[in-house]
Amino acid sequence: MNKALTAIVTMAAMLQPELALAGSYSGKARLPDGRPAYGAMVTVFDADGQRRQTVYTAADGSYAIRTPYAGKVKVRVRLSGFKDGSTEQAATAGGSTRLDLSLGNFTNLGEMNDALSASAFNARLPWPNVARDRPAFVSQCNYCHQVGNSWTRIPRDHEQWIAEVEKMENMLAMQSQAQGRVIAETLWKGFDGKPFHASQNYGASPELAKAKVREWLVGDGYTFIHDADVAQDGMLYGTDEGHDILWMLNRDTGKIDQFKLPAINLPRGGLFSGMRLPIGQFTGKHGPHSMAQTSDGRIWITNALSSTLMSFDPRTKRFKTYKVGHDALYPHTIRVDKNDVVWFTIVASNQIGRFDPKTEQMTVMRLPSNGVLRWLTDQLFPTLMRIGSWFPDQAVHLNLSTHRFFGEQILAFPYGIDVNPVDGSIWYAKLYASKIGRIDPKTMAVQEWDTPMIGPRRPRFDAQGIFWIPAFDAGGLMRFDPKNAKFETYRIPVVGKNEYETPYALNVDRKTGQVWMAANNSDRIIRFDPKTRKFFSYPSPTRVTVLRDFSFTKDGQVCSSSSNMPAAAIEDGRPNFICLEPEGGAADRAALGS
Amino acid sequence: MSIEKRPGSARLFAISLLVLGLLIGYFGLSANGYLVPALVAFGMAGLLWFGKAGRLFKAVTLVNLVSGTLLVLVLAFGDFLGDHKLDVSGVSLLVSLLTGGPAVALVAPGLLLGLRSGKALDRWFNPAPSQA
Repeated sequence: MNKALTAIVTMAAMLQPELALAGSYSGKARLPDGRPAYGAMVTVFDADGQRRQTVYTAADGSYAIRTPYAGKVKVRVRLSGFKDGSTEQAATAGGSTRLDLSLGNFTNLGEMNDALSASAFNARLPWPNVARDRPAFVSQCNYCHQVGNSWTRIPRDHEQWIAEVEKMENMLAMQSQAQGRVIAETLWKGFDGKPFHASQNYGASPELAKAKVREWLVGDGYTFIHDADVAQDGMLYGTDEGHDILWMLNRDTGKIDQFKLPAINLPRGGLFSGMRLPIGQFTGKHGPHSMAQTSDGRIWITNALSSTLMSFDPRTKRFKTYKVGHDALYPHTIRVDKNDVVWFTIVASNQIGRFDPKTEQMTVMRLPSNGVLRWLTDQLFPTLMRIGSWFPDQAVHLNLSTHRFFGEQILAFPYGIDVNPVDGSIWYAKLYASKIGRIDPKTMAVQEWDTPMIGPRRPRFDAQGIFWIPAFDAGGLMRFDPKNAKFETYRIPVVGKNEYETPYALNVDRKTGQVWMAANNSDRIIRFDPKTRKFFSYPSPTRVTVLRDFSFTKDGQVCSSSSNMPAAAIEDGRPNFICLEPEGGAADRAALGS
Repeated sequence: MSIEKRPGSARLFAISLLVLGLLIGYFGLSANGYLVPALVAFGMAGLLWFGKAGRLFKAVTLVNLVSGTLLVLVLAFGDFLGDHKLDVSGVSLLVSLLTGGPAVALVAPGLLLGLRSGKALDRWFNPAPSQA
């Protein structure tokens, strides 16, 4: 009896993957001249075009992919420098099809340019002085979105570019007036619409051929899922800052649910209602931004626009709101320590928040001011926003903000935060002041260090207590060892001549020690191996991929949400959840015997 | 009629107001709101130079000093005000700017000391009646 039962269970297990993995393909991808295409992306789209899975070809051009999709599916091959090849297939349950794919040649330069990432376009911008003028552009323009993708490189006249830069300032871009004029003039001269020669190399590798990417489209063209986080139940949650929605993706079924945050007595834009906000972006009142989960299962959310902290119970689907209070402005990244205490940065008022869910006690502490002018600006900024709220949609605060003559570096902007797993201390990065800091969770004593690269953004600790910091403005990665207070720096490899990279966030897989980073200027995810000090590049199957945080599943997938602002500029016109499985492609090869 | 000689403190403070007004006005070229205190500082410099409208001059200086001091105190120590902190600091900031902002605030203590009864600036604004 037992043997029979075992046999049935074994057969069912063997059959189940076949039924679940309907549209499965293997074969070779070739360049137009017949040579194998190495590092090409083979993507299978489901019949609705709402989900897709991608694997990468090996040096011999081979690939193998298993997907659960049935019906009429599209299979596309994509490789930088070549025209996409695609075919439609009728996928049937249990089927595995041999399918060879071919890349094409572009018929003209313009067509080739359309396939380049934004980094190829902004590499050509004619800055009067790159070292002097480009940092403000990287810091303030690439902050929210790519510049150089098809949405942002439309040729405009000088006046139109000035208006664009002013529009961005109304949305919190903090370049000085002088910097803004240089940016407008450079974009006007650089984005002329003329086709040009360029080549990009995304660095094919054997590791790349082992990987697999899954994507799920979500929301609409103005959905702004700032962060995505894998919860204890395996669900992938996303905070939609544009629509005040918490999205939830079941990665197994592809089902996406949405939970609307509770109403709050604030105008559109929350505490930022004085800004001139474009329709569809920042139209929420709460502005849910970042997430972390306590051991009781509750998900804690920083609401940037309402300056509140919110809990969401995945079992009851209920939210509860807590005021941060006082002059706290823009609660940002949030993490939970080993005692289930919630810590978060408050960027626009240079503060750190601490909330104990057991006692519901909220503490807000001010961080070092880093100079008299920074103190004054950090202190005044919430006041300016309050004055602005008395005159909705007028952006009057701009007429009084010191950033207009000093630039963004006049603010400190405590941004990313993490907990050191070795000693439980709290660490943060000040994006504009280019500092990292440590808070003793017992005494609340603070110590800060200057970073050797500018723009430390969203750092994380590895299991050994090494602090890994992405240097957004410098296109680098920093390693900081708290034991000896020593930095090491690494320059992130780029994909083309004169290009730069914008590493917004990183996370360290504490099981493998691998550092996963966003490379938002060139539609890539980067992996850094601390042992070999080598970078590996994983091109995104979707153009205009801007990732702002990473989270890991129990089986080692690294997940995020594509959150270019606006989402309408993403290749699909909508954002997506994205998960990269480092060994997923290898598993498909093994399963399909390829 | 006796002609009062312009005291050295009036010259010094008037020139200081002018220079500080120019500096704030320079910032105002980027953030237009600072043009208001710059203009007020120029006006105050003019009143002081010519010794006119002493009561108005003194009132504006006093309001500027009080609002500026209140602003700094509220920003630094005003958490006890709770949700009203930013309302108080916001009104203080606007009042401060309308009365000359930092351009006047930096010289206000000296001005108010000089404007005390019987002091040189007070005599400059309020010359003794001429003897018939």
